[in-house]
Amino acid sequence: MTTIQVSNVSHQFSNQEYVLDNINLNVREGSIYGFLGPNGAGKTTTLRLILGLLKKQKGKIEIFGKPFDSHRIEILNKIGSLIESPSIYGHLTAINNLKVWQKIYQSPDNRIGEVLELVGLAHTKNKKASQFSLGMKQRLGIAVALLHNPSLLILDEPTNGLDPSGIVEIRELLKRLNQQHGITIIISSHLLGEIEKLVTDVGIINKGKMLFESSLTDLMNRQHQASTIYFDTNDNATALQLMHQQKIAAQIEKERIVVSQLSKHTIAQINQNLVANSIEVYGIRAIENDLESIFMNLTNN
Amino acid sequence: MISFIHSFQSEWLKKKGTLAFWLVFVGSFFIPLIFLSRGIFYPKDFLAEAKSPQFWDILTSRSWQFMAILLLPLGVALATSLITQIEFRNNTWKQLNTTPQSLSVIFWSKFAVIIVMLLQFFILFHIGMYLSALIPAIINGSTDFYERSVPFESILKMAGLYFVDCLPIVALQYLVSLQFKNFLVPLSFGIGLLLASLIAVQWKYGYIVPYTYCPYNMFSAKQPQMVPAGVNFHYWAVGYFAGATLLGYFLYLNKKEKG
Repeated sequence: MTTIQVSNVSHQFSNQEYVLDNINLNVREGSIYGFLGPNGAGKTTTLRLILGLLKKQKGKIEIFGKPFDSHRIEILNKIGSLIESPSIYGHLTAINNLKVWQKIYQSPDNRIGEVLELVGLAHTKNKKASQFSLGMKQRLGIAVALLHNPSLLILDEPTNGLDPSGIVEIRELLKRLNQQHGITIIISSHLLGEIEKLVTDVGIINKGKMLFESSLTDLMNRQHQASTIYFDTNDNATALQLMHQQKIAAQIEKERIVVSQLSKHTIAQINQNLVANSIEVYGIRAIENDLESIFMNLTNN
Repeated sequence: MISFIHSFQSEWLKKKGTLAFWLVFVGSFFIPLIFLSRGIFYPKDFLAEAKSPQFWDILTSRSWQFMAILLLPLGVALATSLITQIEFRNNTWKQLNTTPQSLSVIFWSKFAVIIVMLLQFFILFHIGMYLSALIPAIINGSTDFYERSVPFESILKMAGLYFVDCLPIVALQYLVSLQFKNFLVPLSFGIGLLLASLIAVQWKYGYIVPYTYCPYNMFSAKQPQMVPAGVNFHYWAVGYFAGATLLGYFLYLNKKEKG
C-alpha cells in the first residue's frame, strides 16, 4: 500500500519559474524513503506541500489513500514532522515544549518522558531550549515529531547540526522506529552517503524534477551497471577498432581503453576476440562507480 | 469545542515566562504602585482624601487617567504583538499548522489567549488599585477609609467601557502580527497609530482613528468637550474590533505559506 502518493504536482512562487515541475512521488507503507537532491532542488517545497504548509497549485496529493485537502485533520493526526530547522519555543524547557504539543495531541503524560529518553534529552531538566546546542534542538524537534506515536514521519534534513555520533544515533533510532513500530519514514537529505545506510527506497530530485525513484536495491544495480571497464593492451588502436566492429562504444583514455556498462559475458567475448587477433591483453579491470557519483551524474545531467 | 479547549491550553502554556506575560503583571501594578507609594510617603494627603465620600471615585478615575492616555493602548499593542509573534520568533508556525486542528481553532484559540490576558490585566489592575488604598490605610491608621464603600457598579462600568475601547487595538495588532514576520512591523504600526491617535484626539473626526477610544473614554468623564459630539465611539470600537478580527481571520485562512 502507498502511504504518500504525489501525482503531477507543480509549484511556483509568485510569477517565477516552476520550483516543482510535474513531480510524482510514491512512498510505500513501512518503507524508509530517502528524498535526495542538492540544495534548492525542491525537496523542502515538496514536503511542505505534502504537509499542507503551501497551497497546492497543480496535481494531486494523497496520504494514507485519502486526498489531503479533504482529510487534513485526520491525516495530520497520524503524521509527525520536522521541516528544516526545528520548531522550538526557546523560552521554555524541553518538557514544557513537549507539553505545548501534548495538549493538542492529547498524548499520555508519560509519553513526554519516553520521547525525551528516546532522543537522549532526559537530562536537560530546567534548561531553557534557547540554551540548547543545535544538535539538542534537532533532537527535541524529533521528540516533538514522535510525541503522538505517528504512523508517518516526515523529516527534512533531520541530522543537520548533529555530530557524527549523533547522526549514527538518530539513524539507529529511525531504523528502530521503522522496524519495531512499523512507522513509515520519508527523510530528505542532500547527502546520499548520509542516508544510504538507512533507507529502503530512494527518490532523487533536481531543479524541481524527479530524476529517479525506486528501491535502494535498484539504485545499487545501477551502480553495478554503471561500472567502467579498463583494457590494457599492447596495441590499443587495433583493439579499439576491433571493439568498434563489435559495436561496443569504447575510447582511449590515458593509454587505456575505457568501456562502460559491460556484462561479464561481453567482457569475456571482447577478451577472446582481442587474443584471437594477436593482441596481448595485459589487464582487464572493472571499477564500480559509488552511489555518490551516480547521484552526482543524475543531478548534473 | 474540545479541540478549541486543548488548543487554548497549549497557547496558554506558550506565554509562560514571555515578555508579554510579565508585561501584564508589571503593567497592571505600575500605576497602583505609584499611588501606593504616594499613600505611604505622603500620609497627610492620603488621610485627607480618605475623608472624602468620593474617595473611590477619585482614586479610580485618577488611576485610569494615567492608564488610558498611553500605558493601556501601548501595553495592549505590545502584548498582542509579542504573543502573536511567538510563532515567528521561534520558527514554529510550520509545526503549529501541521497539528491536527483546524486553522480556525488555531486562530481563535490564540486570539482568546490575548483576550483573557487583557481580562487578567484588568483584574490585576483593580486588585492593585484596591491595595494602593488599603495598604496606606492600614499603615496610616485611617479609620475613614473603612467607611467608604467600594462603588462596584461604576467601577465595573468604567472597566467594561475601557475593555471595549481596547478591543480594536487587540484586533488590529493581531491582524498585522499574523501577517508580518518582522516584529518591527506590528510594533511600528502600533506606535504609529498610537501617536496618530494622540494628535487626532482633538480633531473632530478623531474617532475614525481606532486607537483614540481609551483617551475619549477618559475625557468623556472629565472633559466631555474633548469628545466628538453625537458620536458613540464605543460603537465605533466594537465595529473596528469586529471588522479587523474578521479581516484578520480571512487573511490568516488564505495565507499562501503557512510556515
